[in-house]
Formats: sequence, structure tokens, C-alpha cells
Amino acid sequence: MRLSIFRFNPEKDEKPYMQDYEIAPEQTDRMLLDVLVRLKGRDDSLTFRRSCREGICGSDGMNINGRNGLACITPVKGLKEPVVLRPLPSFPVIRDLVVDMTRFFKQYHSIKPYLINNDPPPERERLQSPEDRAKLDGLYECILCACCTSQCPSSWWNPDKFVGPAGLLQAYRFIIDSRDQATQERLDDLNDAYRLFRCRTIMNCTEVCPRHLSPSRAIEKIRLMMVKDSS
Amino acid sequence: MRRTATGLRAWLVQRVTAVYMLLFIVFLLFHFLLAPPDSYEAWHGWMRNSRIAIPASVFFAALLLHAWVGLRDVLMDYVHPLAWRISALALLAFSLTAIAAWVVRILLMGTA
Ligand code: SF4
Ligand code: SF4
Ligand code: FES
Repeated sequence: MRLSIFRFNPEKDEKPYMQDYEIAPEQTDRMLLDVLVRLKGRDDSLTFRRSCREGICGSDGMNINGRNGLACITPVKGLKEPVVLRPLPSFPVIRDLVVDMTRFFKQYHSIKPYLINNDPPPERERLQSPEDRAKLDGLYECILCACCTSQCPSSWWNPDKFVGPAGLLQAYRFIIDSRDQATQERLDDLNDAYRLFRCRTIMNCTEVCPRHLSPSRAIEKIRLMMVKDSS
Repeated sequence: MRRTATGLRAWLVQRVTAVYMLLFIVFLLFHFLLAPPDSYEAWHGWMRNSRIAIPASVFFAALLLHAWVGLRDVLMDYVHPLAWRISALALLAFSLTAIAAWVVRILLMGTA
């Protein structure tokens, strides 16, 4: 199997370069991450993040043959060779495939990703009807891998001002939560020229999400709530 | 106030003007297919008929608003240095105003 991997070590390299690897496939290579882990056994300078190796921690987001995805759930079979691996587009590179997620998480925190409810907490838990709970499906499953935001053109142009698809999906997750009392504040916070309305409905986010979530649909729903709210 | 003007409101302006323009263009197409005017004067007379002049003025207003919001968005995406952005927006506003004046001149005064 042939791979071409983005390499950059800021302590040694003046600029990034692509390094070619050739590795004989083995029976145990089911997912791309399996191959990467074996490659690292051979060349321990190769750097990438991974943890759960089952698509749940969100740490091995990378650009695989031009498309963002998680190496751990990308089957080796069917990948066009050489497999070109790059760090998440538009994110600052720390080393090789490892990127700096600071800005991404700053946007995420800006939407206040926690329940705001000023009622005194009940003895056990805040209850929710099964219907209200169902509204969170397709939202709470996000693992913050940043595959979507890193592939969103609007985030490329205004990463500091546009919240980006991952953050907006979570914004909607709290806007629609029946237990949250800050719906109005949340809508107002997003209603400026940048935070939500930079989205051009290009839908790269939905296209690329490894968890098959749809940030663009969540954004559309927030817009519709704003329209209702303003009339 | 300012925040709504540039967020939701701009987005709504974009949608509403698009729908209106689409309807008007379909209407124009049908009109020119079914009853094509045979001279500039005939066309101009038709345009000045108040039954057409009002929806046509609304159409051009919608067109200019739509262009303003759309191009403003493009500039916000790509032109980041403040001085450049302000100059580009000013140039855009000036051009659109000039086009508006030209439209008024043609429709009301009949001179190109
Ligand atoms: S929405 Fe999907 S692609 Fe985006 S961060 Fe969440 S899991 Fe990753
Ligand atoms: S739909 Fe919006 S958020 Fe998603 S990729 Fe496109 S511009 Fe970005
Ligand atoms: S290693 Fe956890 S998502 Fe891939």
C-alpha cells in the first residue's frame, strides 16, 4: 500500500513536505488508522493523534484523499492509492497531522455549550418528555472532531468570527433543549452578520461529517426560529 | 438594532427579493413571448403604463438590494483589511446608486 503523508516538524523543517511510504498490507489492516499505527512502528517520528480507535473520541480527524474523515473508521479497502494524508485544512499545524484546535474550541465555547436553567435543581434530575428528548437526536452525538468546520469555506474565510458548523450544531442542540431557559439569548447572540449568517449553505459540513450529522440542517432550523421570533 | 440589520434581516431581504425577481422575470418572459413589442417606443410606452411601471420599479429595487446584500457578503468574506473593505463597500454603494439613477432615467425620461 502506498501513502503520501504531510510532514512538518517546526523544530527541524523549514517548510512542510510530502513523504511517500510503502507498506505491505496485513490481514489486520481494516481501517486506515491500523496502517498508520504500523507505519509509526517503523518511523516513530510520524505524528498523529488517536485514542479510541472506534470513531468516538474525535481525535484522528484528518484530510484523506482530499476529504476530511476519521482515520479509525475509514476502511482501507477502496482508498485510492497513493493515499494522500494531510492535516485538517485551514487549521494551524503543530506537527505532521496534528493541528491546533484552540480556535475551534474557542468558537465552541462561545455558544455556551451547557444547559442554562435558573430554576432550583430538582432533587433527582430535570425531566423531559420522550418527544422533547427526541429533538436532541442527531445533535448530541457530535464528537467535536472538527471535520466539518475544517472543510467549511465560510470558516476558512472568517474562522475568528464565524462560529462554524460544529459550534452551530451545538448551539441548536441547546436552543432546542426543553430544559434550557436561554433560548432567546442564544438566538440573539447568533443574529449578527458573522456568527451564523456567514453560512452560505454550501453543505460541505453535512457531506463530510463522519457521524452522519447535519450541521447545515441545524443552521437552517436556527434561521427559521429567528424568522418566527422576529415576526 | 444594528445586529438584526446585518444578520437575519439581510438574509430575509436576499430570499424575498429573489422570489419576487423570479416571478417578475417569468412574467416578463411570457409577455415578450406572447406580445413582443415591435419598437423601442412601443416597449417604452408599455413600461411606462402604471400597471407595469410600479411592479417594474419594485423589480429594480429588489435587484439592487439583492446585489447589495450579495456583494456585501462577498466583500465580508474576502476583503478583511478595514480600509480596503470600507473603500470597496463605498465603491459598491456608489455603483449601485448610479445604476439606480440610470434605471430611473430610462424608465421615467425615456433617454438612454
Ligand atoms: S458535526 Fe460531525 S464533523 Fe462536525 S465536529 Fe461534530 S462529529 Fe465532527
Ligand atoms: S452549510 Fe454552512 S456551515 Fe456547512 S459547510 Fe456550508 S457554509 Fe459551512
Ligand atoms: S481514534 Fe477516536 S475517533 Fe478515531
